[in-house]
Amino acid sequence: MKNNFYRAVYCSRCELIGSPETITAELQSILATSRRNNRPAGLTGALLFANNCFAQTLEGEREAVERCFERIQIDPRHSDVTVLEFGPAVERDFTEWSMAFVGDPSATSPDPLAVALFKDIFADNHADSGAKVLLLLRQLVHQEDLWAIA
Amino acid sequence: MNQISSQPPIQTDDQNIARSVIRTTTSDQAAALRESFLVIEDGAILLDARLRVMLCNIPATIRLGHYGAPPSRGYPLTKLIAHSSALDADARTTVLDRCSAMSASDLAGIEARLVFGDIVIRIRRLALGRLLLWVPASRAAGESSLHDPLTGLGNRRVFQAALAAIFTKPNASAALLMIDLDRFKQVNDTLGHPVGDALLRLVGQRLRACLSQEDVVVRLGGDEFAVLLQHLDGVDALGKRLIDLLSRPYLVEGHLANIGASIGIAVAPSDAHDPSTLMRHADLALYDAKAAGRHCIRFFKSELNARAQARLALETDLRRATALNQFALYYQPLVDIASGRVTEFEALLRWQHPSRGIVSPAEFIPLAEELGLIVPIGEWVLRHACRTAATWPADVRVAVNVSPMQFSDSKRLICAVADALTTSGLPGSRLEIEITESVLMHNNAETLETLHALRALGVSIAMDDFGTGYSSLSQLRSFPFDKVKIDRSFVSQIDGKGGSGREVVRAIAALGSNLGMTVTVEGIETDAQADFVETSGGHQMQGYLISHPVPSDMVSALFSPQSPIASAPNPEPVAPAGSRRLRGHDHEK
Repeated sequence: MKNNFYRAVYCSRCELIGSPETITAELQSILATSRRNNRPAGLTGALLFANNCFAQTLEGEREAVERCFERIQIDPRHSDVTVLEFGPAVERDFTEWSMAFVGDPSATSPDPLAVALFKDIFADNHADSGAKVLLLLRQLVHQEDLWAIA
Repeated sequence: MNQISSQPPIQTDDQNIARSVIRTTTSDQAAALRESFLVIEDGAILLDARLRVMLCNIPATIRLGHYGAPPSRGYPLTKLIAHSSALDADARTTVLDRCSAMSASDLAGIEARLVFGDIVIRIRRLALGRLLLWVPASRAAGESSLHDPLTGLGNRRVFQAALAAIFTKPNASAALLMIDLDRFKQVNDTLGHPVGDALLRLVGQRLRACLSQEDVVVRLGGDEFAVLLQHLDGVDALGKRLIDLLSRPYLVEGHLANIGASIGIAVAPSDAHDPSTLMRHADLALYDAKAAGRHCIRFFKSELNARAQARLALETDLRRATALNQFALYYQPLVDIASGRVTEFEALLRWQHPSRGIVSPAEFIPLAEELGLIVPIGEWVLRHACRTAATWPADVRVAVNVSPMQFSDSKRLICAVADALTTSGLPGSRLEIEITESVLMHNNAETLETLHALRALGVSIAMDDFGTGYSSLSQLRSFPFDKVKIDRSFVSQIDGKGGSGREVVRAIAALGSNLGMTVTVEGIETDAQADFVETSGGHQMQGYLISHPVPSDMVSALFSPQSPIASAPNPEPVAPAGSRRLRGHDHEK
């Protein structure tokens, strides 16, 4: 059982287009679906939206993580999916969240931290990006829920 | 093939049932469909959207216990079922209800399996509300008759039936996408078959996810899939989307897997008017996509046909080349840098075709490898090279290139080398086998075992073209090579200022020497290159500057003067020790 606990961290580019309101509405729908699906599957995680990119971590039983990831993969609302980390994990990072969310779609200037992070990742310098993304998500989620939609 | 009647049979007796072919179609284009239906031992009935028979084969009538005239084109399903003595009243109602529901809308599902005692009827909805009814000869056969058991997609039978159904309508539009996964074999080899199977299932799901219910998607076998569309709109966009989706990473059985996809597309009616031509043309387009570097879409174009024919002609000629004695070996000398003496020749294969002229190995070796012909050709090379080398001075060796494919049957390779040595009387110590790095890529343990077995015959082993491809220095440590040959590409970078080739050559030479290997520098074409190589730490050099490859009868002219000749009189001294350029005396100015 212990060995069957896995974590996946990935990034992708957002393919949503429209006004901040439209994008916020789409994100809310993505989050609602993901929370609805994740809870019964025993999945937790966090989603970051910044600079028109997604970073997400999923944690739970291996089969559940794989199934959820596959569902996300065939979603046309994103592209350029890059898996930064996938493997057995020791414990949950986001015990409280079926899917925590950080990001502000209406932000006029992108979060500098996220810009730096995504630049690295899509430039293929992602040797330790998985750990970086995870750390960032952890900090942001635990720091405050001010940005949280929903 | 009988002429197909355009009229439904007016009156047919029981005898006619036995010899009747399927008397249902009206056009020549349906010939292929008829054929595919004829070879099926299971019952198969194709229905149009109005539930009228388009095709029905004899096993279907036998299996359903149908009596009366064999169902012809336009014959209603209601009548066919009503005359099926193998079905009771309830079964008849069930079949009719299910067929009308499934034909009317895909909401009723695109597949159904009905069981009545020992009769199984599988129904599958094809495009345009058409239905395929499958009545397997036995219940067990029913389970696998329409499905690919691994992915749950349709199988080749569904594909053929769907394909054939399209061509029953003249000038029908259709697009066939042949899909081949890139790098699937590597995933299968490294992560194992169970992971490979799980990956194929995910591929099936992703394909299904981008297509509508009307579209037919099947797995043809291995990592080959096909998609059949009944329209031509947005085919290019769909192809791109399929490649994008299939190339996204997979999390499968605890592993991260990355594969890609290549797609070949042919469309009807512009590219084909019958199923087999459409398939062949889509295959040629797929072949083109793979040749273009994979991970792309290629549409069929008529040049592909010409190219395929040219390839086929080359294949035919290549198959005959050994028998017709069209191969010859040329020999290129390797000079020992310290002594300036020729100590070895590399045997190089030439194909002299009466009308093609000399065919470049770059052109025919890949084809020979693809066709598996490289194995017998490689054996021929071994035999002839050893036989020729046995006539040379006792201190001159011969090097023979061995293809990675020859390593896949290691026993055969070892036997071939041993036979070549025994037959020619050449001592093993005078033969060197050159392999490329790619040999070490596959099945490492077995390959190493083979190399050791060859070594046990006294043969030395050289790593050829070192520094290209997937080279890694660790490859040099995986086996105690006797020799490393530095790829010519580094030597060509020696000239000019800032040529990075110099450092690479020095580094490899130092590393090779430290590991106790002879270091050979290939591709020496200029004096500047030779000057550098002499001080680089390398032991041997080879290249046009020294000599082009020469036919076997000109080899003796290149022997260094001091070489004791085993069986031939001493030739004129042609190349004083220390001179780089070797010339046959007949060429001497």
